Amino acid sequence: MPTLTIDNQIITVAEGASVLDAAVALGIVVPHFCYHHTLGAIGACRQCAVTILEGSQKGLKMSCLIAVEDGMVVSTCEEESVAFRGQVSEWLMTNHPHDCPVCDEGGECQLQEMTIGAGHGIRRYRGNKRTYTNQDLGPFITQEMNRCIQCYRCVRTYKDYCGGEDFGVMGSQQRVFFGRFKDGPLESDFSGNLIDFCPTGVFTDRANRFRTRSWDLQQAPSICPHCSLGCSTFPGGRYQELQRVRSGGNRLTNDSFICDRARFGSDWNNHPKRPREARISGEKVEFSYALELLEERLEKLVEEYGGEALRLLGSPRASFEANLLLKNLAEKYGAPAPYYDAHPRRAFAARMAASIPSGQLASLKQLRDSDLILMVGVDPLAEAPVLALALRQAARAGTRIVALDPRPLELPCDFEHHPLTQESLLRGLSAPEENELLESLRQQLEASQRPVLVGGGELLGGEGLRLLLHFSESCCGSHDCLIFPVLHGPNSFGGGILGATGDSNRNLIEDLENGNVRALICVETDPAIEHSEPGRMQLALSRLEFLAVFDHLPTNTVATADIFLPTRTIYECAGTFINNEGRMQAFDPVLEPGIPIVVTGSGGHPPRQFETTPPGSAPRSAVHLLQWLLKDRNDLFGLRRQIVKELPCLRDLDRLEAGDNGRRIADCGDKLEESRTEIWAQEGELQVLPITARYGSDLYSRWSQSLTSRFEEPSVWIHPVEAAERGFVNGQKVVLRTVVGHFHLPLVFKAKMARGRLIVPCLPGTPLEVFTPGGLSLPCKIYSEVDNA
Amino acid sequence: MKKLLLKKEIDAFRKKAQKLEHPREMVIDLLRAIQDHFGWVPDAGVELAADILGVPPIEVEEVATFYDKIYRQKVGRYPIHICDSICCWTRGGEEIAAHLQQQLGIKLGQTTPDGLFTLLPTCCLGGCGRAPSIMVGKRFYGHLTCDGLDQIIARLREEAVG
Ligand code: SF4
Ligand code: FES
Ligand code: FES
Repeated sequence: MPTLTIDNQIITVAEGASVLDAAVALGIVVPHFCYHHTLGAIGACRQCAVTILEGSQKGLKMSCLIAVEDGMVVSTCEEESVAFRGQVSEWLMTNHPHDCPVCDEGGECQLQEMTIGAGHGIRRYRGNKRTYTNQDLGPFITQEMNRCIQCYRCVRTYKDYCGGEDFGVMGSQQRVFFGRFKDGPLESDFSGNLIDFCPTGVFTDRANRFRTRSWDLQQAPSICPHCSLGCSTFPGGRYQELQRVRSGGNRLTNDSFICDRARFGSDWNNHPKRPREARISGEKVEFSYALELLEERLEKLVEEYGGEALRLLGSPRASFEANLLLKNLAEKYGAPAPYYDAHPRRAFAARMAASIPSGQLASLKQLRDSDLILMVGVDPLAEAPVLALALRQAARAGTRIVALDPRPLELPCDFEHHPLTQESLLRGLSAPEENELLESLRQQLEASQRPVLVGGGELLGGEGLRLLLHFSESCCGSHDCLIFPVLHGPNSFGGGILGATGDSNRNLIEDLENGNVRALICVETDPAIEHSEPGRMQLALSRLEFLAVFDHLPTNTVATADIFLPTRTIYECAGTFINNEGRMQAFDPVLEPGIPIVVTGSGGHPPRQFETTPPGSAPRSAVHLLQWLLKDRNDLFGLRRQIVKELPCLRDLDRLEAGDNGRRIADCGDKLEESRTEIWAQEGELQVLPITARYGSDLYSRWSQSLTSRFEEPSVWIHPVEAAERGFVNGQKVVLRTVVGHFHLPLVFKAKMARGRLIVPCLPGTPLEVFTPGGLSLPCKIYSEVDNA
Repeated sequence: MKKLLLKKEIDAFRKKAQKLEHPREMVIDLLRAIQDHFGWVPDAGVELAADILGVPPIEVEEVATFYDKIYRQKVGRYPIHICDSICCWTRGGEEIAAHLQQQLGIKLGQTTPDGLFTLLPTCCLGGCGRAPSIMVGKRFYGHLTCDGLDQIIARLREEAVG
């Protein structure tokens, strides 16, 4: 590792690092625009000049382009380089409108910082400035081209890194314009990264325009709750209102990027219908009263009927700590171990993923660095969007990506797609040696240096993941074949760890139906939405003697609960999620809970705080509620230490800090000996597969009003050949009959999907919301609307 | 209504695109062909080219807007590019530009009301040895004088009528 001197300070950095990297590591500010560690150096802005005093190339150089050498001596303060940087800055600023007072970027603007850093304080240019007509880029992003300094970061982010196809750079010279061919919403699922990457105020958050100065925001490092990847985020809010989510920076996971679902789908936190008060049978009551009543009723129940009469349901949305406390609560009352996902098949998938030896799990970083990727039963853009970005980075480096999946997959990169039905995938995995395709892929994986298997828990289920795990073992050549399981929610994996010790043959709905269970406590979950058979679950819930719900989303189950206690969201409390690769990651509170002041003060100015509820009635975290019931007085740190004692595989939990890179769990112990027989439909029977829609499938997106512009219209998909055989035409209205009901839908042709199957995306707020993704395909019949009549 | 391209030309381009490993290399040819037909390249022309080449329209637009000899706005029948680079400047380029503006009664960037001429400044036309120079459509004129210019304009006017 080379050692060099910069401004009389000595540092040793990794081989291949640039002089700019080394300076940044020393805390020396070298102004720069076009360089970003994820995008690489192109030497376009000429802002990062330094003087190399000793080294193979001496003189004034662009620090982002020069690799460090041993014994190199660099100065950032030579008169020549200082003058050069000042001059470049002055050029970059000639056309800038100097409109910082009305610019949302102000206060967190790289251009402000770099201009000052480059020593350019006084404008000499007095001529006309270039001005542009801005484009309307849709509901998420505002464009203000006059502020552009042509560093090209936006195109490199949007097109090169994220693979967007509707954005580019037009014109030449003074007329260079960064935007779309025509006005219209940006199409990429990662468009919001423009906001983080533009070093000036050209692309800013539209919904929050002119609302908050960055220095007035309350911000804290957090974890995205929308899927199982656990991308690091940096949310900010003010006056009890969550206003924005930006990407955090975890080089082992999402690096510096998040998806639009995460960035623009955060207003569920401020949902006008968010339940914020304790209720008993729908009536508002005082918080402490409800809590005491719950305790009283639990005790009475257990006294009368024993712990067997009580069931507890945790969730992939709740923090690991809350789920663990739920387990303690079960022990306290002698109730059977809790369930950690209302959906039994997803829960099994999570247990299976959590049983994969930790060293065999791949991180997103390992995926980006992989040299052969086989995806089995995953639709990244729907189930784990940033995975699609990682795949793209691998593909850009020449990695081959093969996908086996029944859905008409789309990815922002080239890949090979074999549209196999869910059943033939599962059958293939159960006897891979008999399957030509799998056998040839196995050989190729075996021959690769850094192969990774990506497995979708939703489509494959626990059984499929188990088969995939076996398959991966047969793929280990001189190198391990790593697995990247994709699960349902931010803490699915955590639930999988906790669930592995429970009796896996139990089934919540059967428990409820057999009549012995009288009470259920649900923590941050709505089984009537998330269970695989929502209708059946709803009925079972209605038969309970009492149903207690702790949650923060306005679900139906919250409305019908006998005892409801509002909880804080992840933006209002601290906790831990364990992501799909077993990485424990902590999040910190951003805001105090409470109705946003813009609501209570009806938007008046100056904003004043009005309380509509008695003091002490604000929501508490699920952890707090459970600790109260358990009479556990630990603070969060104490609680984590306790957990480490109980579960040694989580040994680093008490060393986590929000905003760090998280820590992998150690191996959780024995292999999960769980296996379930699933009855896989035969080829040739017409079946319909409910799938995760790209927007709206996770419960947080479902209650994010800002995302609705991206929700698709309900439809049923079919392969054109299949349709032709049955005499259907594209777009025709059909009736789809299934066990969950019949639906009038337009039939949409998808040439890239599997034959012999229909597909419906599960869309909230439409008749299709009764389907739950994560199960097997269902038998169905399809008629043209006319025949049906 | 003028067509962007004839059907048989479109077919020929499509056929050629199929044979090429990187069809986008035809982008200039295509834009030129559309321009020859239509006089300039409207949005629909960019979209047609993108469709033939199998690329998103923005990628065609990036090229179309980079080159000033591809017209993305309506121009007169004879677009006149007046060189404003250094050799022409030393040899009276500014007078040429002024004379043309005065004769045609329009400024740089404008089109005469009869739709015949558009004046556009351009950088070096590569004809420095014959400076000062202009280019009308694809025709190059060098060693210009004001009289010479008047004759060229007159000839073009006749050509347009005839
Ligand atoms: S990929 Fe998943 S975890 Fe990452 S930002 Fe998007 S929804 Fe959140
Ligand atoms: S950062 Fe080095 S040239 Fe732009
Ligand atoms: S400078 Fe006019 S043609 Fe070269």
